[in-house]
Amino acid sequence: MQAYSAISALFFSPAKKVFVVTTQTTSTRPKNQPKKQASLLRDDLLGYLFIAPALLLYLTFNIWPLIRGILMAFTDYRFIYPDTRWAFNGLNNFVKLFDSPKVRDAAIVSAKYSLIVVPAVLILALFTAILISRVRRGSSFYRWTVYLPTILPVAVSFLMFRQMYAPNFGLINSLLRGFGVEKPPYWLGEVTTALPAVGAAHLWIIFGFPTLLFLIGIYNIGSELYEAASLDGASRWQQFAYITLPLLKPTTAMVLILIVPGVFGVTDPMLILTQGGPQGSTQTLGYYLYDIAFVQGDLRLGYASSISLVVSLVTAGLVALIFRWSRERE
Amino acid sequence: MSTNSFDKAASSRGQSGVAVWLRRYEILPHAALAVVMFVVLLPILWLISSSLKDAQQFYNHPSELLPRAISLVNYQYMFTAIQQLPVYMTNSFILAFGVTAIQVLCAALAGYAFARMTFRGRDIIFLMIVISMFVPRGGGLMALYELMNFLKLRNSLFGMILLFGSHLPVPIFIMRQAFLSIPKEIEESAMIDGASRWQIFWRIALPLATSAMVIVATLAFVGVWSDFLVTFTMIDRDSQLTISVGIRKVLTSGYETATANVPELRGQFASEAADAAMLLFSAFPVVLIYALLQRWFMKGITEGAIKF
Repeated sequence: MQAYSAISALFFSPAKKVFVVTTQTTSTRPKNQPKKQASLLRDDLLGYLFIAPALLLYLTFNIWPLIRGILMAFTDYRFIYPDTRWAFNGLNNFVKLFDSPKVRDAAIVSAKYSLIVVPAVLILALFTAILISRVRRGSSFYRWTVYLPTILPVAVSFLMFRQMYAPNFGLINSLLRGFGVEKPPYWLGEVTTALPAVGAAHLWIIFGFPTLLFLIGIYNIGSELYEAASLDGASRWQQFAYITLPLLKPTTAMVLILIVPGVFGVTDPMLILTQGGPQGSTQTLGYYLYDIAFVQGDLRLGYASSISLVVSLVTAGLVALIFRWSRERE
Repeated sequence: MSTNSFDKAASSRGQSGVAVWLRRYEILPHAALAVVMFVVLLPILWLISSSLKDAQQFYNHPSELLPRAISLVNYQYMFTAIQQLPVYMTNSFILAFGVTAIQVLCAALAGYAFARMTFRGRDIIFLMIVISMFVPRGGGLMALYELMNFLKLRNSLFGMILLFGSHLPVPIFIMRQAFLSIPKEIEESAMIDGASRWQIFWRIALPLATSAMVIVATLAFVGVWSDFLVTFTMIDRDSQLTISVGIRKVLTSGYETATANVPELRGQFASEAADAAMLLFSAFPVVLIYALLQRWFMKGITEGAIKF
């Protein structure tokens, strides 16, 4: 999860910029350089040698699974029967999954989970970023602390929260008992509390990076606008509502694009903590398809791939919507 | 936000001494931030304090953040009784160093080629790599499982090194940017002096891109160390597990057999507190790197964002 977010720092920055950079280099070089030197600089073979190791690895372990994953979604591949590997069955998987009540239930859990975690991340990250932007001293310490949860191994963080939520000697319940609550909940063990409890842990883990993004966004706004506004007599609150928020729209979109796929497709905490329980209350789509692919019966990789494909298409759709929203003019 | 002198002068004229003082030392935001930071750090602080409590202290006062007496019994237990931990730890280091080496090397070579060399299809290939990052991987994990199984690389650290080493688009992008920012004249003058392409890359360009390589290396190391899902899926042999996956196995399987190794410690430690010690132990390397290489981290994180 954190690998994902650290890496996705650059994830979509290329979208706009890279095109600019690449077109620049292609168009300027031949024009600016004398022909002689250009021929001196040509190194076709060496160039291919330089990119060969990277390309070989990338094609094998990234591009092939990308293609194969899509193909697999249209097969009835069961891992323990290797000859079903290419047993294409048309749209059967998709018909089946749209009819399946289990998939529907899991989709509802995933949606609920996203509705808990995503707004919470946005609010907490924005709030923290605004606070950090108000101080001059110590901001690097705050930034460091805020990002610390993100670099911790996911399993360590979630298991740490398992300790926190422990019914008897967990920090939360010991504190609650100290405040006189007689029967504090079993958090991860109850149908009503399990999903929000996992979500809270998830929030703790991922909110750091969005905070840094919002902080950069706020720093980029610059002080002139606020000066002008305060000269016109705008209150702090008005400044926030009419300057800060609208100008942070691109950052908000970026944060959403970053976190929505990971939250909607959440799998890790269920594998680490809840196994989808209690009573399926944390059975998200991600966990359900993992269960089908790698745990249950004859390991139906084909069917699981089709669910995974649908999940990624839904997230891609969401990302596209968010992107369009960020381009909209007021 | 309004930190300009005009604003400050205006406010100090109309307000009492306390208000000015509050503002000058940014008391309110610092106070609010102290609360936020405390909440953020609370689980970690509690974990640290639990790991320093013996059984009696932990069971009697589980929520006290300052242990009344410091006990190292949990650490003693962890190092003597849990024999898989050193194995997992070694595996994690092998994997993380292996991936870091592969990523830095491959990304430096490819980044240089994409930045400085001219060959047919260069920009198209680069563009394809960048675009392919954004294509969602539906069924990717399942396909990867099949592939690793087919290549006989499942349950193999070497296989995992190749698998994680292949996450190259971002490293290539970072390295390419770094090489593009080196003035071309330096390399051109070396070329006129008769240096070969390889010499220019190895002796001139690469040393100038050190900071980018550090960024790539830290992101790779921490990312691999922290992975759960992929390692969990590909490795089920105990001798090949990494600490980030193995720690779950240890914590969820109970300690009955492990405690048999150290009968003298029975009853002296709380298993929850031993859990805490082990969690801290398995996160320690990345936290250390994060603390030491803070600057590079923030650079790596923010540079990408600013370019958006």
